Amino acid sequence: MVFGPGLIVMEADNDAGAVSTYVQAGAQYGTHLLWLLLLLLPITYFVQEMVVRLGIATGQGHAAMIYRRFGKWWGRFSLADLLLVNFLTLVTEFAAIALALDKLGVAPRFGVPLSAVCLTALVLTGSYRRWERIVVFLCLLDLAWFAIAFRVHPGMGGLGRAMLVPSVPAGGLNANWLFLVIAIVGTTIAPWQLFFQQSCVADKRLRFADLTSARLDTLVGAVFTILVAGCMMLAGNAAFERHWDFADPARMAVQLGAVFGPVLKNGLLLLMINAAVLGTTTISLASAWAYGEVRGWPHSLQKPVREAPGFYAVYALCVMAAAGLVLIPGAPLQLIILSVQVLAGLMLPSAIIFLQLLLNDKEVLGERFANKRWNNLVNWSIVILLFVLSLLLAAQVALPRLFPNS
Amino acid sequence: MTASTEFDRKLYVVIHPLDDEPEGKVETENLGPMRMTTTVRVCLYALRAYLLLMFGMLGFRVLQLAGVIRGEGG
Repeated sequence: MVFGPGLIVMEADNDAGAVSTYVQAGAQYGTHLLWLLLLLLPITYFVQEMVVRLGIATGQGHAAMIYRRFGKWWGRFSLADLLLVNFLTLVTEFAAIALALDKLGVAPRFGVPLSAVCLTALVLTGSYRRWERIVVFLCLLDLAWFAIAFRVHPGMGGLGRAMLVPSVPAGGLNANWLFLVIAIVGTTIAPWQLFFQQSCVADKRLRFADLTSARLDTLVGAVFTILVAGCMMLAGNAAFERHWDFADPARMAVQLGAVFGPVLKNGLLLLMINAAVLGTTTISLASAWAYGEVRGWPHSLQKPVREAPGFYAVYALCVMAAAGLVLIPGAPLQLIILSVQVLAGLMLPSAIIFLQLLLNDKEVLGERFANKRWNNLVNWSIVILLFVLSLLLAAQVALPRLFPNS
Repeated sequence: MTASTEFDRKLYVVIHPLDDEPEGKVETENLGPMRMTTTVRVCLYALRAYLLLMFGMLGFRVLQLAGVIRGEGG
């Protein structure tokens, strides 16, 4: 009964952008980047575990805690940054839905508004449990990635070595490789996850006694997500082995369909849509919860619409506006994708610094929930690593001439 | 109900968090801002420096693309 938030936050992180990044990594570097996923498993777990502790101890969301403990300026900055990055990410989710629907033969002008309406209806039932059950079911649909990986990569020999031993790809290490590595790190640990899981834990009213189960939920979610991400890389590896140029996951699904049959093609496209749907509901909720917390509005999936109109309005507005933007002919989608990368680079270090400071706030958490010395050693190392990587990624996007592609 | 079944029921009944009595959480309402220890101050300064650098870099790139500053975008 405690299970849910951890699995959802982790698996929803394998959203449309993540599918694209992991598949691209496989298509360009084969299995050479599998080791990175194994490295990211403890990092993603330790970051989210802090959020679980903070959520259970305070019963408050992340945005509310930043606002209370760091003042209005930092509170507003974090909220504005979160809302903007989340909205731009939602646009990319709907762009992926449109792309996959188009390849499935469904006109995006019908499919995209329909998915936006269904995604809004999903939260309007006034029941956290109903929403959670449906979303957990969608998460479990990602088990199909294992079947796809097995189908396109039947030889499992050498995978263990690729996961455990970092290796240099054939073309050597260059700027493209470096920034794909950074993109994988950035897509595996996203700022909205911190806000989402803490608010979700608070909305589900997890108790002090639930801490161990909630940690296990997060660990299971992290392991599942990393395994699914590995399967996505293996799907991309099928293109690498055939020396196909990678354009986007939908086009690759069509190419793979010509080799492995239409079931595989349609399966891949439906999984792309599922990834975008999971990303959309969780990211929109992260925004709605955070906005409700800071404004002091009622903000719970347990409340009917009439009792929390502002909370549901923010959710619906995010979903509808992002879907609408995708349908505008000639919308600057490439610019939006670049903006997501830069703004996420700005957002992640600040969100994670606040998280780390809050977890050392013994005035609030006391000895029981505050970070121990070993927590701090691990987490400060992660903070520094993410700071450097975010800076590099954003610098590459903002000042591309700094990084000539060797 | 016998004493043993009553005992078993108490021992094994699992209550969903949403059906349980709300639990008293750590008080955060009246705490006010965090105490500015050296670590907090250094972290916030580092964050400000990072954000200034990033926004400066973005501004430079936008000016370059607009052709105000010479470069690849202009």
